[in-house]
Amino acid sequence: MKESSPAEVSIGLAGPALSRGLAWWEIASVVTSCLIAEWVALSFAGSSKVITLIPVLLALGLIIFSHRERGEGLRDVGFRTDNLMAAGRLLWLPTVGVVALVIALGWFSSHSLSVAPWRNRFFVLPLWALFQQYVLNGFINRRAQLALGSGLKSIVLVAAIFGALHLPNPLLAILTFVGGLVWATVYQRQPNLFALALSHSVSSIALALTSSPKLLDGLRVGFKYFG
Amino acid sequence: MNIPSARLVHLLIGKSILETLLVGGLAVFSFMTILPPYFHGWGEVTSSGISGWVVNNGEPWERVEVQLFVDGNFVTDGIANQLRPDVAAAGWARDPWHGYTFRLTSLSPRYHEARVYAVHDSGAGARKSLQLVGDGIVFFVDENGILSQLPSQ
Repeated sequence: MKESSPAEVSIGLAGPALSRGLAWWEIASVVTSCLIAEWVALSFAGSSKVITLIPVLLALGLIIFSHRERGEGLRDVGFRTDNLMAAGRLLWLPTVGVVALVIALGWFSSHSLSVAPWRNRFFVLPLWALFQQYVLNGFINRRAQLALGSGLKSIVLVAAIFGALHLPNPLLAILTFVGGLVWATVYQRQPNLFALALSHSVSSIALALTSSPKLLDGLRVGFKYFG
Repeated sequence: MNIPSARLVHLLIGKSILETLLVGGLAVFSFMTILPPYFHGWGEVTSSGISGWVVNNGEPWERVEVQLFVDGNFVTDGIANQLRPDVAAAGWARDPWHGYTFRLTSLSPRYHEARVYAVHDSGAGARKSLQLVGDGIVFFVDENGILSQLPSQ
């Protein structure tokens, strides 16, 4: 009997069930890293940002390696400009809606519109939003589509993951679930991470400026939520 | 999209192992920092209170802060810095100054349980933890306020 070579073994990963299973595993691995950073590293290592960076870098390493293995380029993932306007057209209405909802939320929660002071960290928010959208849609959404196919199931999965990563902050988890639904839907139609990051930044800044800190507990998530 | 090779599976397994080590390492580090298992000691009933000794083997020259709880309620605290030559002679401590004595008054005449805890600071004073030293001490207070240990103890 002929022995199987490593190349033949690797062909085994091409089976549909195995491919789906691998996509699920990749999603679970990245989500686990996020949870470790939010809940374990911050709670155990306190202010040591180096410890918190370890799971983040491990997840980033996996994501980049996975892109390489699957032959996904920057353009495939969504770092492109050719569909920026098309994605923008899909996003502007929901983004305006979310901003209006956020302002209304701030108004009805405190019966006044308290505008928080502008903070310097808002300048880096677009980069942070781009990073989040890259992980959420450039990776998790793409793997969710491998696991469940395009459409409602994978969109809901992406949104549920995004919301769950903002627990135990209940209101923020709901808002990010809704945001996740919108961004995952748009990404599946027009994969453009810059447009998503812009929408994410505008929504986050509106939230940070108009909602009372008490309502959203300073946008804190994970272990930091408790103080 | 290309078909991933087995290397991706290897990476996923390796990442899981590294994260398990990270979480396990953080758990052990945190436990050793917040609740270090270095405190040893004992307590017993005297006619007027609770006496005993406490040593922090991690820092043998430290005079350990102790707190007394009776029936689950905080009563008083002190520093275990009294002379106990028997403790050093038995090899439990490097020097004899690790004893403590708590006088107990105004306890109602019945059975009570005393527990002595070693206090430990961590995080530059941001956290304080209590660790039970020895076992809980069940004792009886009679009508005259005299304490006596249970015969089995």
